Amino acid sequence: MVGAISFRRISMMAAGIAALVAWPFVFSTPFDLRMYGIAGIFAIMVLGYQFIFGHAGALALSQGAFFGLGAYVTGLMAVNWGAEFAITFPMSIVLAVALAALIALPVLRLSSHYFALATLGIGQVIALIAIEWVSLTGGANGLAGVPLPSIFGFTVARGWPLLILIWGFVAIGALLSWQIMRGFYGKACHVMREDEVVARSLGIDIDRMRFTMLLLSGAYGGAAGALYAHAIRIASPEALEFKTMLACLTMVVVGGRTRIGGAILGAILIVHLPEWFRFFDRAYLIFNSAILIALLAVAPEGIAGVIARLLPRPPSSHAKVIESVRGEEGTLPERRGLLLPSVTPILEVRNIVKTFGGVRALDDISIKLRRGAITAVIGPNGSGKTTLVNCITGVDTPDSGRILLADVDITGIRAHDVSSRGIARTFQNLRLIDDLSILDNVAVARFRAEHVTLRQALGSSIQDKAQARAYAHAQHLLHRLGVEDVDRLCGSLPYGVKRRVEIARALALDPMVILLDEPAAGLNESEQNDLAGRLQDIAADGIALLIIDHNMPFLQSLATYMICIDHGRLIAEGRPREIYQNPAVLEAYLGPRSAPLAAE
Amino acid sequence: MLQLTINTLALGAAYALVAMGFVLILNATNAVNFAHGALVMLGSYIAFTIGSLLPVVGLLLLPLLLIAAAIVGLLLYFIAYLPLKDKPVTSVFISTISAGVIFENAVLLIYGPEPRITPPVIGTSAFKIGDTVISEQSLAVIAAAAVLIVGQQLLFTRTRLGKQLRAAAQDPDIAAACGMNVGLMVALTFAIAAALAAAAGMFLSATYYASPTDGANYTMKAYIAVTIGGWGSIPGAVIGALLVALFEVVIPSLPALFPALMQAVPHAADLFTMTASTIALFIAFLIVLLFRPQGLFGETIKRRA
Repeated sequence: MVGAISFRRISMMAAGIAALVAWPFVFSTPFDLRMYGIAGIFAIMVLGYQFIFGHAGALALSQGAFFGLGAYVTGLMAVNWGAEFAITFPMSIVLAVALAALIALPVLRLSSHYFALATLGIGQVIALIAIEWVSLTGGANGLAGVPLPSIFGFTVARGWPLLILIWGFVAIGALLSWQIMRGFYGKACHVMREDEVVARSLGIDIDRMRFTMLLLSGAYGGAAGALYAHAIRIASPEALEFKTMLACLTMVVVGGRTRIGGAILGAILIVHLPEWFRFFDRAYLIFNSAILIALLAVAPEGIAGVIARLLPRPPSSHAKVIESVRGEEGTLPERRGLLLPSVTPILEVRNIVKTFGGVRALDDISIKLRRGAITAVIGPNGSGKTTLVNCITGVDTPDSGRILLADVDITGIRAHDVSSRGIARTFQNLRLIDDLSILDNVAVARFRAEHVTLRQALGSSIQDKAQARAYAHAQHLLHRLGVEDVDRLCGSLPYGVKRRVEIARALALDPMVILLDEPAAGLNESEQNDLAGRLQDIAADGIALLIIDHNMPFLQSLATYMICIDHGRLIAEGRPREIYQNPAVLEAYLGPRSAPLAAE
Repeated sequence: MLQLTINTLALGAAYALVAMGFVLILNATNAVNFAHGALVMLGSYIAFTIGSLLPVVGLLLLPLLLIAAAIVGLLLYFIAYLPLKDKPVTSVFISTISAGVIFENAVLLIYGPEPRITPPVIGTSAFKIGDTVISEQSLAVIAAAAVLIVGQQLLFTRTRLGKQLRAAAQDPDIAAACGMNVGLMVALTFAIAAALAAAAGMFLSATYYASPTDGANYTMKAYIAVTIGGWGSIPGAVIGALLVALFEVVIPSLPALFPALMQAVPHAADLFTMTASTIALFIAFLIVLLFRPQGLFGETIKRRA
């Protein structure tokens, strides 16, 4: 799974490539070659679509627009100016990317419903413009007579030469996609797709990542469109029609959303389907759509996904990977205990107010966290505890008040910046990525520390060093928290282990402060004691802990300081023992005139 | 001016029916029904078919149309929603897109690509008030749509069934825990939404003709109306639909209203067409989204799924 590729996967890949090469020798009539060329073009389009739809998990319906634009750009330049392929092809890509950037501006921040519909609308508008702007685009008839690609004066003839050109680009596109996604960058994408909140809390800038994914989709779409114009010798509104987008969507769902083999398989199948099912005639789109719905219900991971599921999981080789970076910087967690103790607070919350509609969820709350201190926040349900965490972690922005981290104002900065500045958190309802291993889940938190970017991903050697260092780092932390057998998938872990994996993940951010949202929930007594010990150990390193919990016995032995909030107001603070006796706290929890809490 | 107002109201009333159904399904399933426009288109064709069998005015056909469309809505529920209701929401998006394609191509196979016209609600005559010509169809559409909108509101707010429908949409788990058949409620919502969409289809296609490929366009307009009006809000959807209609009626009639515009702007005849107004509407809408991602009157607290 990690780094090295298993023998079985190599043999699968070799068989797949052999089949792709053999295909045009077996089906070699001019018509077959043409169809195979079209399949290759769609494979490029689908490989691109996998970035935004598969890897980023956003249902964009704009891939048809990129494709159509690419076709029109090549068509216009080649027909009107007789421009060379060396100019038209890059221009098709550049303009499609520009369109993607333009689309991204208003719609990228939108959530799924809006995003799908807005991108669909942009496609519709471009199709309307192509039909209406007759003087430029030839209107509904399109631009006929697009020449075959001419490269440095040599015309690429139809048949084999064109086929080789197209599939050459498929190979380049596939390699590029593989290079970007196989390593750490792909892992971060996986986390973003599964859980945006977690991705942000790990310092992953998901807006930027999605933007990159959309631009990559645009580039591939433009390239495919350019080749399409050459292959069918016309740039027409047909390329922009929703049918094209739908074909692309069908291919990616049928083939598989994230696998390269899936893109190619899906494209070949869907391009040839109308030929194989010729007796369906005009009803084939109905047939096509019916298959799509059926597959969504039965095998949403697509054919490539089903094949991968049937094969056994390759044995992990992360031990070797970790060995390869032994001793390098970043492989060992820092010990912050070496820092001098200090009385100045590391995190200071000053008079923050947050209202939702008319409700004051936080009303003038001030808290100071010191290095190495374990501060507990208690309060009845709905008292504003979670809003407090959300404000500190940048999920919500307070209406007024300030939040200072090591004397730097971090009020209102974005969640992924908050975490990279040193505030980590765990989640009440355990948010691990179920289909990643324990090691992967923790290692992804090193994303920011390892400066992982698209460029880094493109330049990484076959052994992604950043990922290897992250694994080494993660393994240390997991070991410290007593989590072994780190290749297990997180989905199948018992509750108590998941808690500790989440804490390891928070530690992997090298935080100054960790916010723990109900860490003891669902743990039995011995697990709670074990956890308390580990948390004290972490605090002893100089990390400030803020624990939100209800569990009094757990907190009483653990917390050095305690704060009680109710209805958004801070009603008491002090040593845990004092808090339990405080009448205001008792009233908040148990109603007026109740027995002391300690009697429970 | 009066004529413009009535045209806007008539178009807006029909769009409101489309947008309302869109919101009903949205609230009940938490998913966008991309086939909603196709339901409008199917409504047109069903009305056309019934109308050619029973040559009476549209008003008398309406009950039959509503029933037939409700069955189509149930069909949509069973093919596109039920098998995928536990899958990620994008699966439902894709399946409704596919269902829309199925409807579109089925109609194309049966009726061919030629545009069809549906029977008018009462008649096609027009009368004059002063200088303005007012068509009977526009008034009848406004009245019929108003009755349907009010009927829908009464059903949802005053009846036990309506309360169950709303409960199932608001919190399916609690509704199920209270012993309601949530699946049935969602299915009924599809039926009601499809009936409203079909009525809109009949109203619209008496004036604008119907063709099998109209669906995507109607889906987009419902979407824009719903976004402007506030995601999930039924009164908002009606207001949004009226605004969309206003845009579409006013832009093509700008040259007539301000003859100076024809001289001032080059190619004015090309710029103020129905297509141009669709493009302008969408671009305006994207600009709104850029600055107010929550819609013009959109929700402030509720986070979008």
